[in-house]
Amino acid sequence: MIPFVAVVSLRNHQSRTFRLWIPLFLVWLLLLPLGILLSPFIFVACLFCRVNPFRGVALTWQILNALTDTRLEVENRSAGMSFHIL
Amino acid sequence: MNEHRRQILQMLADGKISADEAERLISASEESSGSSTETPFAPTKTRAKYLRVQVDTEGERDNDGPTKVNVRVPMQLLRAGVKLAYLIPSATLQKANMAMHEKGIPLDLTQIKPENLEDLVEQLNDLTVDVDQKEAGAKVKVRVFCE
Repeated sequence: MIPFVAVVSLRNHQSRTFRLWIPLFLVWLLLLPLGILLSPFIFVACLFCRVNPFRGVALTWQILNALTDTRLEVENRSAGMSFHIL
Repeated sequence: MNEHRRQILQMLADGKISADEAERLISASEESSGSSTETPFAPTKTRAKYLRVQVDTEGERDNDGPTKVNVRVPMQLLRAGVKLAYLIPSATLQKANMAMHEKGIPLDLTQIKPENLEDLVEQLNDLTVDVDQKEAGAKVKVRVFCE
């Protein structure tokens, strides 16, 4: 399943944590019409580059699906940041 | 608690070994005890789910104290990522081959099959990279492993 939410946590030197939930499903919803509009151009570009467009779309979908559970954390005494795709 | 672990903890308490060494000894003893109970015909190797990269720095390099970086990448993402190589047109692969030959790397990218790339990712399960570096008063520890 494609990721629906990304969580960004920021911690400052006063140990205050600011957590931001990014609703990725809204991003996908916004990108969907754009993708549909651009699909003919993408198709032509794929053919021009001799790339199978259907395979390209399938791979993009697979990569989006695989993004779930990616986590990045950077911690320091004075600050910290974490990024988690759910 | 088994006898090995007790001995290691005792050595740690006596200050004969550091916490890192104790952790390594405990994991080694767990691995050896785990492998001794395995039957040779029933491999218990599980498929790794994540590729982890941990970087710990401590020392005088910066004033913010120790910095820890922890990255967890799903193996599924790596598998999907290497499949992108299927999309590379053959003309581009030829160009890359020529560029690598010029640099003295005798590798023919056109010979790499999708199965080879998947095998490559599968073999990452056994990958562990540990780098300890001490330079200019700062200690950097990098660990790359699958879990």
